[in-house]
Amino acid sequence: MTTLHIEVVYPLRDEQHVVHLEMPEGATVKEAVERSGLLARHPEIDLGGANKTGIWNKLAKLDAVLRDRDRVEIYRPLLADPKEVRRQRAAEGKAMKKGGGDLAAE
Amino acid sequence: MLTAILVLAGIGLVLGAVLGWAADYYKVEEDPVVEKIDAILPQTQCGQCGYPGCRPYAEAIAKGEADINRCPPGGEDGIQRLAELLGVEAKPLGEGLEPKLKSVAVIDESTCIGCTLCIQACPVDAIVGASKQLHTIVADQCTGCELCLAPCPVDCIAMEVIPARLDNWKWRYPVIRLKQAA
Repeated sequence: MTTLHIEVVYPLRDEQHVVHLEMPEGATVKEAVERSGLLARHPEIDLGGANKTGIWNKLAKLDAVLRDRDRVEIYRPLLADPKEVRRQRAAEGKAMKKGGGDLAAE
Repeated sequence: MLTAILVLAGIGLVLGAVLGWAADYYKVEEDPVVEKIDAILPQTQCGQCGYPGCRPYAEAIAKGEADINRCPPGGEDGIQRLAELLGVEAKPLGEGLEPKLKSVAVIDESTCIGCTLCIQACPVDAIVGASKQLHTIVADQCTGCELCLAPCPVDCIAMEVIPARLDNWKWRYPVIRLKQAA
């Protein structure tokens, strides 16, 4: 039975919470988040609701199985509306930088 | 007389053999100078020196391809330490490079649109976030390389200078101002 070295992060603007864990093989995202103790310290986290989770910058479901050295991330929803931002930029007549086109297509 | 010559020649041969064996047996795999240079470089992986990261720059210095004054995050004390290590004259930072205060990138959360472009640019995986989720920079892991500023389509990332506090303040490496030789 190998142990997995997992990092759970819940980043806020001024303080980024990083918790290092050792989990047994076959552990899931949900288990790691629960073990991290971040839920108790931050009751505002709405797991599976407003706050989505992911591994290494890719969204992952709560029942996703972890691999060694995964970074489990608890995200917060966007405050800005990407479509609104794009509409404003178009109104101002600014050219889109690289990547802007992808966002419009979504 | 003859015995003395033979004894000294014998000692010479034995020691020579030992040295030859030791050089082969304790061979250092990599150029140790590269390690030492790399240890002095600030590991921001920012690429301002014109090389893709700190290690390639260290290798270039070791080969004599690059000058020692191409690293703005290292600052003047970095150059001074490199000069000491390599036994060359220290010189001011190369042209077109500006010394900067230590700072970290911070994302303006009210404008971030969750596009992940900054995440792809970050050389040290300091940015947490996914597609259409708010991105946040882990300040402890940010090296202040500024590589995330340019890709952001909404210009929501700014550099914030790290204020000196008791827990992060340290003695600066002594720098002796260079005088122009007469």
